[in-house]
Amino acid sequence: MFNLSLIEHTLRLPPHLLSLSLDKAVKHDLEKLFLDKVIANLGLCVSVYDIRKIDGGFIFPGDGAPTYTVECRLLVFRPFVGEIIDAKLKEFDKDGLRLSMGFFDDIYIPFHLLPYPSRFEPDSENGNRFRWIWEYQVNGENEDDQTSATVYPIDEIGETIRFRVQSVNYPSIPLEQPKDSKPFAPMVITGSLDNDGLGPLSWWE
Amino acid sequence: MKIKNANDGALTNFEVLSFLQSRGASKEVAATVAPSEYKVFQYLVDTTVDKQTKESVSDLLGKVKKYDLAKAEVLNIINLRPTSAVGIYTIVEKCDARLGEEGAQDLADIVAEVSPPPEEPRSEEGLPQANDV
Repeated sequence: MFNLSLIEHTLRLPPHLLSLSLDKAVKHDLEKLFLDKVIANLGLCVSVYDIRKIDGGFIFPGDGAPTYTVECRLLVFRPFVGEIIDAKLKEFDKDGLRLSMGFFDDIYIPFHLLPYPSRFEPDSENGNRFRWIWEYQVNGENEDDQTSATVYPIDEIGETIRFRVQSVNYPSIPLEQPKDSKPFAPMVITGSLDNDGLGPLSWWE
Repeated sequence: MKIKNANDGALTNFEVLSFLQSRGASKEVAATVAPSEYKVFQYLVDTTVDKQTKESVSDLLGKVKKYDLAKAEVLNIINLRPTSAVGIYTIVEKCDARLGEEGAQDLADIVAEVSPPPEEPRSEEGLPQANDV
């Protein structure tokens, strides 16, 4: 889920930071630059893990600040395909579920990756609000036995749901966004619930 | 910016948590770390990682060696600590062929034995206990 990534960056250290020690000043600048941002194909940057090397300090002609080349390691959130992760249910609609991990909200479970057979239907006990239902068929021992179905609902916002990472995408920034579309997400995780042991933790206790 | 090595090693959730704690993240004071770090810290505290120790993790690492699991699978087991066979089944690919039903149960027992249990099951958190009068 979390990885270290080694990067090299050339940065201009603004003069107001020069009162700090070089380490601190560089770190301050790196944090401002990378923290809580998604770097395409690298992941969501959580923290600056350590600084390996600071080179340079050259002042370009006409510039009022030194420029350093820094090698550092970032702590990034980048799940691998097939990883199993717990997240909380954020919202759901007829297209599927949306999960949140607190620091990362763009996890989608499309309806075709919900456990089969699932359906989206009004909940009669709960003021006809919609909910997702997984209907698990238990086959009787004899063929004459009627198959009985156990119903597992997904309807509680905030419930912990275990999912498998199906893919991680980094969509490119759209040039023009339709007015009513949802905000652009630079990193989208598609998850799957269609396997044993996946879904709300309460299903498997 | 130049990416020199995108994958310079994976970290377990436990390692990330201790790193953030060493940076000063704690439940009481939020101001010492950046917001992004604090949110990750909160997520990790909420999941079962909280009670792991360095010893229990390395103990677990030693004990799962004989099952010949992939690195990613071991990482996932340390992160999630599945204590039932179905949890193992989810994480380990082609579990039936590689471990068999007994192997999965054995592995789940090892995980349960090595890792200290969370203080209370998460599902009951915040709900009033039925037995309390």
